[in-house]
Amino acid sequence: MTQAVRQPAAALAVKPAVERPSQVAERPLDFSIIRRLFACTRPYGRLRNWLLLLVVLRSVQLPTLSWLTARVISGPIHDRSASGIALGVVAFLSWAGFTAGCFVYRSRYALELGEYVVRDLRRAIYAHLLRLPMSYFKRTEVGRLLGRTVHDVDSVRTGVQDVFFVTVVQAGSMGISAALMAHYDLPLFLVMLVMAPGLWAVTRHFRKLSSAAYRQRSESFARVTASLAESVNGIREIQSFTRQERNAQAFALRIADHADLNMRGARLAAVFQPVLSFNGQFFLALLLVLGGYQVLGGRVELDALIQFLFLSTSFFNGIPIIGEQYNQALTAMAGAERVFRLLDTRPDWQDPPDARDFGRIEGHVEFHDVSFQYERGVPVLSDIQFSARPGESIALVGHTGSGKSTIANLIAKLYLPSAGRVCIDGQDLARMSGSSLHRQIACVTQQNFLFTGTVLENILVGKPDASSAEVEQALDALGVRDLIEQLPAGLHSPVGERGVGLSSGQRQIVCFARAMIASPRVVILDEATSAVDSVTEARVQAALQRLLAGRTSFVVAHRLSTILSADQILVLEHGRIVERGNHEQLLRLGGIYARSYQEFVSSRSIEAVSPGV
Amino acid sequence: MSTSALAPSVFSAAAPASSPLRRLLRLTWHYRSACLQVLILQTTLLGLSLGGLSLVGLCVDLLRHALDPSAPAPVWPLQLSPPSSWSSSEQLFLLGALVLAMGSAYGLLSYAHGVQNGRIQHLRLVPELRASVFHKLLRLSFSYYDTSGSASIINRVTSDVQAARSFVDGVMLQGGVLALTLSVYAVFLLRANVPLTFACLGATPLLWWLTLRFSRWARGAYQKTRDLVDEVVRTMSEGVHGIVVTKVFGREAEELARFERRNQAVVDQQQEIFRRASHYSSSVHFSSQVNVAVLLGYGGWLVTQRRISLGDLIVFANVLTQFATQVSAMARVVNTLQESLAGARRVFEVLDAEIEIQSPRSALVPGAGGAPSLSGALRFDGVQFGYAGAAPALDDICLEVPAGSCVAILGGTAAGKSTLLHLVPRFYDVRAGSVTIDGHDVREFDVDALRRNIGVVFQETLLFRQTIAENIAFGHPEADAAAIERAARIAGAHEFIQSMPAGYATMLAEEGANLSGGQRQRLALARAVLVEPKLLLLDDPTAALDPETEREVLGALRRVMQGRTTLIVSNRLSALRFADRIVVLERGRIVEQGTHRQLMALRGLYHRTALLQGIGALEAGAGEALALADEITARGRAEPAA
Repeated sequence: MTQAVRQPAAALAVKPAVERPSQVAERPLDFSIIRRLFACTRPYGRLRNWLLLLVVLRSVQLPTLSWLTARVISGPIHDRSASGIALGVVAFLSWAGFTAGCFVYRSRYALELGEYVVRDLRRAIYAHLLRLPMSYFKRTEVGRLLGRTVHDVDSVRTGVQDVFFVTVVQAGSMGISAALMAHYDLPLFLVMLVMAPGLWAVTRHFRKLSSAAYRQRSESFARVTASLAESVNGIREIQSFTRQERNAQAFALRIADHADLNMRGARLAAVFQPVLSFNGQFFLALLLVLGGYQVLGGRVELDALIQFLFLSTSFFNGIPIIGEQYNQALTAMAGAERVFRLLDTRPDWQDPPDARDFGRIEGHVEFHDVSFQYERGVPVLSDIQFSARPGESIALVGHTGSGKSTIANLIAKLYLPSAGRVCIDGQDLARMSGSSLHRQIACVTQQNFLFTGTVLENILVGKPDASSAEVEQALDALGVRDLIEQLPAGLHSPVGERGVGLSSGQRQIVCFARAMIASPRVVILDEATSAVDSVTEARVQAALQRLLAGRTSFVVAHRLSTILSADQILVLEHGRIVERGNHEQLLRLGGIYARSYQEFVSSRSIEAVSPGV
Repeated sequence: MSTSALAPSVFSAAAPASSPLRRLLRLTWHYRSACLQVLILQTTLLGLSLGGLSLVGLCVDLLRHALDPSAPAPVWPLQLSPPSSWSSSEQLFLLGALVLAMGSAYGLLSYAHGVQNGRIQHLRLVPELRASVFHKLLRLSFSYYDTSGSASIINRVTSDVQAARSFVDGVMLQGGVLALTLSVYAVFLLRANVPLTFACLGATPLLWWLTLRFSRWARGAYQKTRDLVDEVVRTMSEGVHGIVVTKVFGREAEELARFERRNQAVVDQQQEIFRRASHYSSSVHFSSQVNVAVLLGYGGWLVTQRRISLGDLIVFANVLTQFATQVSAMARVVNTLQESLAGARRVFEVLDAEIEIQSPRSALVPGAGGAPSLSGALRFDGVQFGYAGAAPALDDICLEVPAGSCVAILGGTAAGKSTLLHLVPRFYDVRAGSVTIDGHDVREFDVDALRRNIGVVFQETLLFRQTIAENIAFGHPEADAAAIERAARIAGAHEFIQSMPAGYATMLAEEGANLSGGQRQRLALARAVLVEPKLLLLDDPTAALDPETEREVLGALRRVMQGRTTLIVSNRLSALRFADRIVVLERGRIVEQGTHRQLMALRGLYHRTALLQGIGALEAGAGEALALADEITARGRAEPAA
């Protein structure tokens, strides 16, 4: 009983309480995963070994403290020996002090080890993600995956810092208590031992039930929050269609549902606690009657009975604790398995080991019979063949899904063609290193993605070691320095998540500057569809022209003005180039381009704009 | 007292000005009888567990006396000693049976206690609080939503409610239980031996103080850790989101370093926590060991002096450990108190928030009780509007939209276009001037009736995770399949719905993610059409669409608008082509209005926008468009680079 206090205090010391979904795998412990987890602690071998030593020591200390207590009571106190008592107290205190001293390091090292392993896993995951090619991100819902991985890494932490070490302490304490009891009175101990499997079974059964209940509860809670979030985000719709009553009713049902599940969990816990404690009481009665009877008969010493009273608690306490650890081990295992699976994802392709670096790129881009498919059997591009001379601007035109963006992606080597070759300056991209290409290529995407940070930090993504003079030069070259300086803190203005804090026009300008400072030889631009307000629009267009000037550029075009000013227009349909040439050539051709241009012109003619006139 | 109809009145207290603490006390009072039951059960449980412990002590004394008659005879509690004729072994069996009986009683009652405690929390407090907060949220005006982020609003219904309810069970109940437990233990120990009690428990207040200090410090520190971990996760998901940028610029190494800094910051922050936490928990353990040492030394000496029995000593040892566990319970109660107050403040904030937009006392309900239905003539008269505390977003707006006609509003970002629309269904109220429909100020109508006569399509429509049919019937859930299909046909959505796997019964993913932008907007149109509104408000419905999808949606719009007064907002000229009249807004004022031709002739803002969007050029043929493109290009190249 002396270590009953262990629980709550330790609970305070453990890391912040995170709700972690405990998914119990239905299969037993997997030793290959355990080995691999163990390998994660290798960089901290010294720490781990010290911890192991401390833990073994503690497993001896805890039962001996109980033993000492009982020993003092049944020895000197029972015999009324004052000097014996004094000696016993001194021995007890010094042993307790030593135990406490060890415990400081035992808990600290465990926490540190867990934290280090978690840090390393997080880093490994992110580094691995950054290495994976775009195809992985296209087919995986990485956002959701990350959310789960964060949980998983946290359950791995528990596995690393708690499961093994706590089990060692408890098993050791149990073993030593058992040995001491057996030493005092073997038959009585054997009777006690019969209780252990029952207690173990009860604990395991309850854990199984409770983790199933927990899963149900968290699923139902997810439904509550989802419905809540939907209502909050859809408040405009709800109020404008006067749906308040109905939604309130639907939500009340969800809450009631969740409340029932919560209640079921509470009831389960309310059964388990008494069963455990009743088990203890039953055992106590048994001990008193059986042991007491033996004492009266003179077959057992009274001090042996007192030892049993103290040692049996430290023996039986261990069982539910180890049961809980076993459960956590399964959770950690499931988490670790998913983490490792992510880390083991093979990239679809990598730069070949003998990839060569590009020197300065001139910007001569060629596609030789290029085909591409994201999914097997669904061709996105077929037999694409074209050549763009250095400095030319190419407009890619076509319906959604015609393959415009895919061409851009292949030039940036975000994907490799399924067949054919993409060459820059006559070099097949597949044989060149991605990094040397990416230093000379820039891309402005439709989303105008910006990182959280400052405007300056975002521009520096294009060239991390650029001096402030270079940044200013780039802004001047784009003719947008005044637009950046207008921001509240100029270049140091903060950028929120996904560019919050900047208007769409400003975001675009920052993206241009980021591309500009990289002084790329090839520029890829996915034109934004939504219009910014007219004044900024003019500035954006002007800046764009300056960015593209003198560089080979590919524009996924949505705007007529962009198309009109291109040197070459590639008209795509179902992944094939169906027409090519400049605007006038294509009009003369009288094909798809000319037809849709005519349609476009007539649909926006004055008669359509104001039918009444 | 179990009527949940009573509950809201308790939550949205009559005197919202009173402090959160007092309102929480009133909340507790509301559940007083259930709470009282829990307390009574808890007291009984305490008695039983102490009784069990005394029996063990008694047993030891009995055995000792039997073995060594010189040792003090066992003292049965309450003078209830068994007949003296009973042998020691018979007495022993009696004690064993008693322990077992008390153990069973303890088990049963503790089950009842657990269930009752859960019932208060899970079946009463939380659902009732959540329902009333949610109920209120749905009725709050848009201005409330403008000023509070959606995450914060969601938290108020989830975690803040939990925090507020923890006042009842975590503070009041637990506090009561704690006080009871401590006093019962103290009385029990004091009755056994006063000086020994003080010797053993003397250091307890110090321990409490230590615990409180540590847990208060740890709470702040852990909060900081959580923030840092959130930051790590954010960096990760942002990195994934912007993976194209990182890859195209070849910045994987820099991005990893950026991540690594945040990752390491967590570890650095944790070090101090680990150091302190391990010292703290170790000293708590040690102090309880010191108590045991005091007991052994001083108590042992008392035994040698025959002042207490050996059994008493063992009981003392057990009660001491029980006492020690209450140390952390105390810290928990104090922390819960702080958290529950903070949570309650946020919950009460919602419950007390004023519903700004409400129907007047004798409200007009068009089409009901002999009142004429609306024809839809809309008029803005000297309207001024500004968001709370901000400069006017609209000023001096005078605009007439005859019934059945269409007016388009053009303007840049923040020109006030959407704001103008929002005044019609009273999402906000005007600051000055008036908005009238059929000559009645919109504030004279019943709000719900007014909104039922208005169909709104937003720039990006929120679709709910229900079937397509349910989404279309959103404003009129009782609509039959024929009406839903009719609406879908008008909105040009019928064809694509038919081609979906389960047709109208297809479940939509969260926010309609399994539909294209154009399909979502057509569903939104169908949703608006279904309620047969007299007025149609279109808030830039094609802004997020690419030109070709835009064309599809605009085609559907023409049918939808038939026979309704329509107000359409856009900054794309292509969307304005059905309008009878076009109004150009700039910085909250009407700067130009007229037909397309009139506005082109004006050579003002409209003309400039038209040129940029290529429309003006197209009217004159491609030549001018090329010239325009050249002009832009030339401007871009000609301006000096330095």
